[in-house]
Amino acid sequence: MTGYIIRRLISLIFVLLAVATIVFFLMNAVPGGPWGYGERGHSPEALENLKVRYGLDKPVGERYLTYLGNVLRLDFGESFSVAGNPPVLQHIVRVWPVTMHVGLYTILVAFSLGLLMGITAAYYRNSWIDNVVTFVATMGVTLPSFIIATWFLFIFGYQNGWGQPGKWIIGPITENGNALLSWDYFLPVITYALGPMAIIARYTRASFTDAMNADYIRTARAKGLTERAIMIGHVFRNALIPMVTVLLPTIPDLLTGSLFIEVVYGIPGLGKFFVTSIFSRDYPMIMALVLLIALLWGLTYLVTDVLYTVIDPRIRVGGRVRSA
Amino acid sequence: MSNKRVLLVFFVLLLALATVVPFIRAQDDMTDVYGRALPEDAAPYSMQTYRVLCNAANPGTTLSAIVSVYQRICGSDLFGDPLVVLDNNLNLIPGAAESWEPSEDGLTWTFHLRPGQVWSDGTPLTAYDYEASYRFMADPANAYDFVWMWQGVIANWSEAVAGEVPPEEIGYKAIDDNTIEVTTANPFPPLPNTLYFWAPLQKAALEAHGPSYLLDPATAVSSGPFLMTEFTIGESIRHIANPTYTGFRKPILAEYLGFFGNPADSYAAFQNHEIEVVGYEALSAADLEVIYNDPVLSANWLPTPGDFRTDYLLFDTYNPPFNDQKVRLAFAKAVDREGIVENVIGSRIALPAYAFLAPGFPASDTEGALKDIQGYDCEAAKALLAEAGFPDGEGFPALTLQLRQEGDAVKPRFDAAAASISSCLNVEISVNNMEYASYMSGLLERPTTLQFGAISYGMDYLDPANMLGLWVSTGRHSWLNAEFDALVTEANALVGDIERRTDLYKQAERILVEDVGGIFLDHRIAGELYQPYILGSIRELNGQGLPGWQWGNDANWGGIYIGANVADYDTYRTR
Repeated sequence: MTGYIIRRLISLIFVLLAVATIVFFLMNAVPGGPWGYGERGHSPEALENLKVRYGLDKPVGERYLTYLGNVLRLDFGESFSVAGNPPVLQHIVRVWPVTMHVGLYTILVAFSLGLLMGITAAYYRNSWIDNVVTFVATMGVTLPSFIIATWFLFIFGYQNGWGQPGKWIIGPITENGNALLSWDYFLPVITYALGPMAIIARYTRASFTDAMNADYIRTARAKGLTERAIMIGHVFRNALIPMVTVLLPTIPDLLTGSLFIEVVYGIPGLGKFFVTSIFSRDYPMIMALVLLIALLWGLTYLVTDVLYTVIDPRIRVGGRVRSA
Repeated sequence: MSNKRVLLVFFVLLLALATVVPFIRAQDDMTDVYGRALPEDAAPYSMQTYRVLCNAANPGTTLSAIVSVYQRICGSDLFGDPLVVLDNNLNLIPGAAESWEPSEDGLTWTFHLRPGQVWSDGTPLTAYDYEASYRFMADPANAYDFVWMWQGVIANWSEAVAGEVPPEEIGYKAIDDNTIEVTTANPFPPLPNTLYFWAPLQKAALEAHGPSYLLDPATAVSSGPFLMTEFTIGESIRHIANPTYTGFRKPILAEYLGFFGNPADSYAAFQNHEIEVVGYEALSAADLEVIYNDPVLSANWLPTPGDFRTDYLLFDTYNPPFNDQKVRLAFAKAVDREGIVENVIGSRIALPAYAFLAPGFPASDTEGALKDIQGYDCEAAKALLAEAGFPDGEGFPALTLQLRQEGDAVKPRFDAAAASISSCLNVEISVNNMEYASYMSGLLERPTTLQFGAISYGMDYLDPANMLGLWVSTGRHSWLNAEFDALVTEANALVGDIERRTDLYKQAERILVEDVGGIFLDHRIAGELYQPYILGSIRELNGQGLPGWQWGNDANWGGIYIGANVADYDTYRTR
């Protein structure tokens, strides 16, 4: 197992290298540059000075190699577009916790409610409970989060003034600071969680329904096992594998922020800065954020593969499957 | 004295104290930081907070126009006074300078600072702070984004910007602590107007901490009406009234608070009484209908000419098909401006444009003499296109009208213009809303890569030299007319004969319209919607009988306040 994890981590380095290479060259190929703002543009001399100051006067290949060298020393460069031009790593460390808070609450809400809804719907399949869950899940999947956010703002923020009225429209998290348990998180988390919750509910229902219809469950019932024992010991465990495959990869998305949620609720998190950095051609920030997201994805897939072996002892990492 | 008596006296004293203390506090709360009594209809000082929504999508990197004009953070330029400002009638009035005068040859302007102005650290504000700020802007090492403003205007400015002479040699010099002398390369009558934006940086702070000193409350100093005390990137910014300020716009407001958010939420936030003002660019045509039909909202919608902004279409006139003036004129006459303003934009926030300078702007075509040149006439447009070799649009290449990342408030007008041309001339036009940086890159490249585009422009100072200067051969457009260049150049340097100067600009604009450097679509009417409890100078009528925050009148920072009627509304102050 340890050897497998080490091999995967080494391969992850190559994945990150590939991502860095593709994004670096694509980013530099897009027309315009970090100083493409203004009505009449910079003077040629000023533009040249800016390029020299930020190292953009060199050929793109040379810049790429320099960048890789710097990254190995954990130097991701300085932001072009954030006030004070801070090192991008420092800026990410500052804003990511805001996104993480929302993301972690969202994971908690989405997974707990989604699992509960999916299991209940599977257990009472084809009943009115199943229909309600299916309806809610369908709505959650089909309605875009920015529509839901706008409705929530209008209904709970503006119309009814839920929680702390006056804080939903502008910077809900700002005024209270980033308190761990704050009403300010309520609407963003619910909005953000609806989509993943719906997906989780649907996959959980499907997995549980398959497992509950399996022959070994019928056998277990025939042997006189209690429903609780059947559900926990057999159904739940066997339903987990497809769920892990589908559901764990949603976590990196939730931890790195949603543009829509952060913009609509005025949350100063990573997602919003990602988009801002793309529009302002903040190359160091773009690269650092892309690498961060790629790293999270890589680690998530590694954790997913390792979890398989925990859930199903027949599965051995490295591609070998023990016969049953 | 018996115990009972002592107790009685004690209770009487306590009662008296309880009665008096709130009164004393109320009195204190009706006095500002400068010891002045608040206006009678003002809310208590503790409620004098002015909140705005800042655009989180364009968060900015500086709090000073000296460092960058286009990267300014919400609430910038309140930490010093420019030499001049504009009043409610767009007249130039003293700012940090109490007076100024030109030399007889019109080449040198002398500005005299008001005495007694100080920085918040107690040091005096001097002419050397202004000099250091201008040298900073002219230094190519600082890559300033607005250097074009004084190219060919301030002596040696262009040379300094190009790195040919050191910034110390520009024609902007401190003569003594209170005197600044500006020398121009040629006579330039609107020189004082160009000095409106630029509140100075402190020379000592600039040398000690660099141009970002304003971003850190520990190093921030101010000689202006406010002092920055808190700033969290992408979250919020807070200024307080600068207690050491001695200038011409002492704020009645105690605090300025900016929240970074989505501009699309502005109107909702305004309705929720979370912010004090929402600008026209954040209001849809539907919002404006609601506003105009609501007695309270309409009374607080204060329209102004703003920066006299004009929306227009532009071409690459150096290459086919737009190198043919007939084609350009055919396109211009195919745009149904009146219909677009009436049905798409809304006649309350725009006027049809037949020329570049909006009505009311100096040298603008107030008589309507240019109206018929580009005015809508589909039959004439078809005839022109046929003369150019494309009868009924046959053989005309398919075009894409490129937009500069326009939002919902502006994009529909350009869509409608493309549709109007397309349906009249039977030519195929698609619309592509480009990302801002890519668009500007294409526009400014030489040769340009933007064949056909749409854009807007508003003034930087109140003079035709600014607006028409955009169209000279060194401007941003791929259109060249030597006669136009010559007229603008001559008018820019003309001293003493205002009529002749105006006439030259009018001639130049006629050439611009006739030669169709651009297709002028609409002049925007700006405006802001204020809360009913924002009172003071913005409620006063100007010479045109209009209230509102007129462009350039930053003296308003000393004139606005939160009214006592704020108590009638459910705001964050009263919750």
